[in-house]
Amino acid sequence: MKRRNLFTTMAAALALATVPATAALADNPVLKIGFVGVTSGPAAAWGISNQRSMETRAAWLNEIGGYKIGDVTYDIEIVSFDDQKDPKRAIAGMEKMAQEGIHYVVGPNVDDGAAAVRPVAEANGIIYFPYAFPKALYTAPASNAVLGMVANYQSGPAIYKYLKEEKGVKTVAFIAANESDPLSQRDSGLVAAEALGLEAVSANVTYQVDTTDFTPVLTPVIRTRPDLLVLSGVTPANAPQLIRSARELGFQGLISTETAQDAQVLRESAGDLANGFISVGGASTPEIASDMMKEFVARYTEMFGEYNDESNTKVYALEYILATLAENPAAINDVEAFKQTMDTFEVPNPYMKGDAVMRYVGMSSFGQRRQVAVPLVVNVFQDGEFETLFVAEVD
Amino acid sequence: MEQVVANGIYLGSQYAMIALGLTLIFALMNVLNFAHGQMYVIGGFVTYTFYGQFQMPFLLALLMSCLTLTVLGALIEKFLFGPVIRRSAREESTMLLAAGIAFLLDAIILLVFGEKQRGVPKIVDGVFNWDFRIIMPYDRILICALAILSIVAFITFMQFSRTGRALRALAQDRDAAQLMGVNVNRYSMIGFALGAMLAGLVGGLLVTITGVNLGMGGPTSIKAFLMVMIGGAGVISGAIVGGFILGMLEAVGLAVLSQYGDITYLVIFVALMIFLTIRPQGLMGKPWG
Amino acid sequence: MSRAAIYRLLAVAVFLVAIFWFIPFLIDVTGRWNFYYTLTSVALLSVASAGVWLTFYIGRINIGQGAFALIGAYVSAILVTKAGISFWYSLPLAGLFAGLVAVLIGLPILRLKGVYFAMITLVLTEVVRLAALALPITNGAKGIVSIPLPSELSVFDITIIPDFSTIENPKLAFYYTACALMVICFAAMYRIVNSRLGQLCRSMQQNEELAASVGVNIAYLRVIVFAISSFLGGVGGAMFGAIAQSVYPSSFVVKDSIDFMLNCFLGGLGYVFGPMLGTLTLYFGWDLLFELGKYQLLVYSSVLILLILVLPNGLLSIRLNRFRRLRS
Repeated sequence: MKRRNLFTTMAAALALATVPATAALADNPVLKIGFVGVTSGPAAAWGISNQRSMETRAAWLNEIGGYKIGDVTYDIEIVSFDDQKDPKRAIAGMEKMAQEGIHYVVGPNVDDGAAAVRPVAEANGIIYFPYAFPKALYTAPASNAVLGMVANYQSGPAIYKYLKEEKGVKTVAFIAANESDPLSQRDSGLVAAEALGLEAVSANVTYQVDTTDFTPVLTPVIRTRPDLLVLSGVTPANAPQLIRSARELGFQGLISTETAQDAQVLRESAGDLANGFISVGGASTPEIASDMMKEFVARYTEMFGEYNDESNTKVYALEYILATLAENPAAINDVEAFKQTMDTFEVPNPYMKGDAVMRYVGMSSFGQRRQVAVPLVVNVFQDGEFETLFVAEVD
Repeated sequence: MEQVVANGIYLGSQYAMIALGLTLIFALMNVLNFAHGQMYVIGGFVTYTFYGQFQMPFLLALLMSCLTLTVLGALIEKFLFGPVIRRSAREESTMLLAAGIAFLLDAIILLVFGEKQRGVPKIVDGVFNWDFRIIMPYDRILICALAILSIVAFITFMQFSRTGRALRALAQDRDAAQLMGVNVNRYSMIGFALGAMLAGLVGGLLVTITGVNLGMGGPTSIKAFLMVMIGGAGVISGAIVGGFILGMLEAVGLAVLSQYGDITYLVIFVALMIFLTIRPQGLMGKPWG
Repeated sequence: MSRAAIYRLLAVAVFLVAIFWFIPFLIDVTGRWNFYYTLTSVALLSVASAGVWLTFYIGRINIGQGAFALIGAYVSAILVTKAGISFWYSLPLAGLFAGLVAVLIGLPILRLKGVYFAMITLVLTEVVRLAALALPITNGAKGIVSIPLPSELSVFDITIIPDFSTIENPKLAFYYTACALMVICFAAMYRIVNSRLGQLCRSMQQNEELAASVGVNIAYLRVIVFAISSFLGGVGGAMFGAIAQSVYPSSFVVKDSIDFMLNCFLGGLGYVFGPMLGTLTLYFGWDLLFELGKYQLLVYSSVLILLILVLPNGLLSIRLNRFRRLRS
């Protein structure tokens, strides 16, 4: 008898699970935009900040009556798939997007996932916006991936150059987790630093991502007394621990990274020790954030309880997709039309003060326009907040 | 060299505490608790919530972590592991249950505490610096001392209290213990709760230094498995030795091998495999089939 | 022919018709094309899980299958991209290489039992990942990308398998290939289990010392079984590399190794077809719960725990229980 009850419960649970959770929207036709990325497990923060910034923007657009593309006003629906940072799942996610008739997908968040979904995306006519840096994804013959942020081989040189000229940095040390993304980023960072004439005093120390004590890892690096310590491809979880350990070991130089970080996390886990930490951000620092960016942050905070500064760069992909579709409504079901529009697309950037524009770039890195022109905002952490160090552009 | 030893002792003390709870559960019930790391993470988040957010005293927050995990551990044993162990044909089947619980706790952690890395203010400021030969922040020294103190307290408890003796009897021979009048079901539950509590305690202690995030669970479990294997499965002293050895191995390995860069960890893991092959029962353990 | 044998043949025929005709038909009618990839994954993962199951059969908990899947994926990728060998030859070679590695590693480590063996295989997964990151031939952290689709396989100018890049629907082609692999794999497994080798394995599972005392060469036997197991892992991994057209050190990690083991547990350690059902439930279950969004993992794990509470000996034990009740 008891067993029967359990079965009934299970059946009920399964039945519940299969009921599609479609929210009731207004009468507008619905435009679905996909997200395939990691929203559970160790790297959840990356995907979740992505997904939430998309959902915030979609809810906002729907609230003000939808988004006008051509003659039709659409409600935006975000379809999210959690790939658990597994490239095999990422393929399933991309297949799912194709199944739903989606042509524009944001994600995946890591190198292996972005490479694995390429065949599916190209076979099904999907343009996707990965947050992965390998150049092979964006250079011909690959044509369906659009880099959703600034790659470290673009931001790295700008940061190193600035630090070399303004702060007199001469020697640099790199440290990276022993995983694909951070190691690739370290290697390209190293090339960039040496091209600028900086001396790399240590570049082969790695750590396991699950390290709980970075003191033994950092000790040999700090011994080399670099002027600048670069945390290549560091996750927001590891960054404060690395900073804290380095400072406690008596490191006096500069620390920087080319990935986006979150001020709240740094404030909590490293406190004042993180002062002077240089990272790459979007456009939410007070100096450059437009009113629209401020409203976005407010809405995000209201919807999810807490803002994540990583979303500063991640709000853009959706905005680019929609703005490009508005420019060329034919692209809504035809990615070839989208690709053509990419070459000429240029509209004002609503998230930034001043006359910044949104356009597709990447000619010098990839030989074709396969990157969104996110403003390269280099932030420095000071007393719990990010301040803008300098703003640059990628071409 | 002094620095390496100091790093090793610090790492070892925290590792040993993580391994203790795992080995206790393993010794009592032959369960490889894949959810141990998640319990550690929950302990960290509870301390974060009470100490970091509600500004309560650190020790009180630590106590809340222990309490939460004790209750959680008891419930998990009573309603999940207990029934499954009684009914499964092969006792390894509990590994599936343990993994299922690990997924469940991961899901709950994500929903309750969010995806971000969390940290708390330092409990003591300042860095101990002995002529640049040993550099160790005071909070690490304090946590290390607290961890060693907890380990000593735990061993004393296991040696001299009535409950501890019953648990040891249970670990040695389940049937014999039952014949001697030990209430096996009750003590299994107590043992599991105790193991979970240790995980919560170390999570609470370490949140002050490493912070906590939901991804730490799985890797922590696996690291704890390694320590238990090095020392010998199901042996309390083995877990402590294993923890300190892995701590030392990492500290020494990183110091000696750092110039080889990318293969540092490869060498450490291969060394570990060779060690386990040569001495399969670990340092202290008895061969187990 | 006995009635049981006829039933068995009938069941096999129904199964074959189902996977090769009915499921494609169903997908065609409903238009759920994405299920092809999911089911392809299930088929391939169940091949790798079958290997793990086989090591369970000699009483070893194997949490190292991810290592062999990764080895297989890399061997095939390297052979195809660097040596220009056809994928169809690289597939068995990948399996053989994984098997060879298993023999070398297995000789020392198979002396271990229980959790000790489990742990050392778990470490092995991490060792292989780190080796893939460090070795030059694997292209390190950058992985091997842009692997061409499987090319034509022909014997005496007769095309046996057409070039996948010219096929209109490679998804379907991969599905058929994966299913064929799965069928061959499980047919072989069934054969092994019901052969003298299988009997010897069972005797080892129960008591190795006793088996050795009656003249079973257990050292030889367990290495053979471990090699077969790893062969299956290597083949599964190689096939995945061909579908993703890329291999990274993180293509198969510790989590995959654990998943392979869980598939076996869930299906039931006492049943040859356990890994297949276990993989289907665990992998497909996750995809089915896609609509739940952030509650996906919560519901997934809750259902999993409920399943274990109801059927602690695996899904297939439900059949066993019924038979027992009939007999009593």
